[in-house]
Amino acid sequence: MEGRGARLDTLQAIELAEGVEVRLRVAGPLLRGGALALDLVIQWAVILLVGFVLMLTGTVVGGQTSVGMISLLWFFVWWWYPVFFEAGRWGATPGKKIVGLRVVQTSGSPITFGQAVLRNFLRYADGLPFLGLGFFGIPTFGFALATVVATRRFQRLGDLAARTVVVYDKLVAEPEVPAPPPIESTAPSVALRPEEVRALAAFRDRAGLWSEGRREEIADHARELSGSSGPAGVSRLMAMAHWLQDRDRR
Amino acid sequence: MKEGGFEERRREAWDDYERLVASVEKGKPEAGVNELPRRFRELCSDLALASHRMYRGQMVGRLNELVIRGYKLLYRSRRKGAESFVRFLVADFPAAVRREWRLFWLCSAMFWVPFFAMMAMAWVDLDWVQAILGPQGMAGLEAMYGGEEEQIAHLREEFGSNFMMFGHYIQNNVSIDFRIFAGGIVACLGTIFFLVYNGLAIGASAGYVTYACNPESFWTFVAGHSSFELIGMVIAGVAGMRLGLAVLKPGRMTRGKAIGAAAKKSLPLILGAAGMTVLAAFIEGFWSAQRLPADLKYGVGIAFWVLHVGYFLMLGRGAREA
Repeated sequence: MEGRGARLDTLQAIELAEGVEVRLRVAGPLLRGGALALDLVIQWAVILLVGFVLMLTGTVVGGQTSVGMISLLWFFVWWWYPVFFEAGRWGATPGKKIVGLRVVQTSGSPITFGQAVLRNFLRYADGLPFLGLGFFGIPTFGFALATVVATRRFQRLGDLAARTVVVYDKLVAEPEVPAPPPIESTAPSVALRPEEVRALAAFRDRAGLWSEGRREEIADHARELSGSSGPAGVSRLMAMAHWLQDRDRR
Repeated sequence: MKEGGFEERRREAWDDYERLVASVEKGKPEAGVNELPRRFRELCSDLALASHRMYRGQMVGRLNELVIRGYKLLYRSRRKGAESFVRFLVADFPAAVRREWRLFWLCSAMFWVPFFAMMAMAWVDLDWVQAILGPQGMAGLEAMYGGEEEQIAHLREEFGSNFMMFGHYIQNNVSIDFRIFAGGIVACLGTIFFLVYNGLAIGASAGYVTYACNPESFWTFVAGHSSFELIGMVIAGVAGMRLGLAVLKPGRMTRGKAIGAAAKKSLPLILGAAGMTVLAAFIEGFWSAQRLPADLKYGVGIAFWVLHVGYFLMLGRGAREA
């Protein structure tokens, strides 16, 4: 895949052990940032709420036990909350779940406990540089953003180390609009490569979504293949797609 | 076969499969889930066929989604039981530390050299120690270890305060281990910083207390948990350095791949280090401040150090990595 050159979409093709290729849609920094913000809100809410309850019981029971409990609460919510949820059956923290994201291995299968530990403990490093002093202070997540933008599969440092990617949990199906019925069926003038055939098929599938002008604009890019431009080019391309898709395959 | 015919013939199987997957996802498996693996493989071949023949995007999209949902269920990693935990404890963890013996000594040096340097400084030139601790740090140390006998035990007299300190040590010390580890990915800088910083701070405190306060109350307090906590910290440092070296010296792999491979090696180290620091917190919370004879506490402390040496040198030998 690496050598195939730049791709415009964020679909990640992964070959499963069953020998079939599935496509996962990798999530970008904006949505992941939103999920992170949601998680932070949830974590703070849990700490404040449970901490408040512990303080109350502490005043009733007396003694310092509740202070120790609050320290433990802080520790578990801060470091283990994401590990617990991502290694569990959701495969996502509550924030990611709400936004509709999921963490998977680069092979596409659900992540293991060890991977959840790695990617979440390294979140500390992803939070660098900190506002304030060196390794202390408020995290800006500059490192995370930089590596997410720089890697092909939007991986932050923790993802690189744990070999995970964050993907959309459910791929949104494209709205189905019936394409204009094909009028004729023509064989392409030259032999086409598989990607080109796929592009033609996609053109036919999506033609119903576009206005007439847009169809012509796109079809004009394939002028060399269709040999004509404007409405004539569109119908030539449609005819070829029809021939390619519906020819009898024995 | 034409596209329409293919879809018509297979649609029922796809719908059945989807119903089964949905039932398992909800946690209420219907009858016939045993067939799910077979149906999954059938679906895979349908998807391969459909995408090879370049059928409609919508149909391929639906099959793609169905395959992913099934894959997610069938390939969920099984929870490992007590057996693998015991194996980690008696074999994998000490073996992992031994494999990284060079980094272990390097990280030990990064902690212990500043530690002993600062301890010595307490006698040579106290200004250095004062500069590191600051007036507040010194006042705090004097309040805890300044008196004639064990003041820590007095401070712990209130009900539940042992548990309070236990919680505090878990939160504070294990978090330090995790930061030492995570800081390593920044080309080792974070790991080096935290190890040297802790060496300086702990060495300065130890030196100051030994010089200016009541040394016995300090050393009897730290004797019990010192081995767990300090070795744990050094091992967290090893894990961090392993990651950082992958960034600095990826060898023949790309940096991204090298980081992934190094992280796999460092995972047992950081988990083991965290476990050791948790044990240290137990000891520090419930044992170290007990009012007991000093000789007993020193004896226990030394015994733990000897046990650690034996543990890391002897356990897990012969069990080669599969």
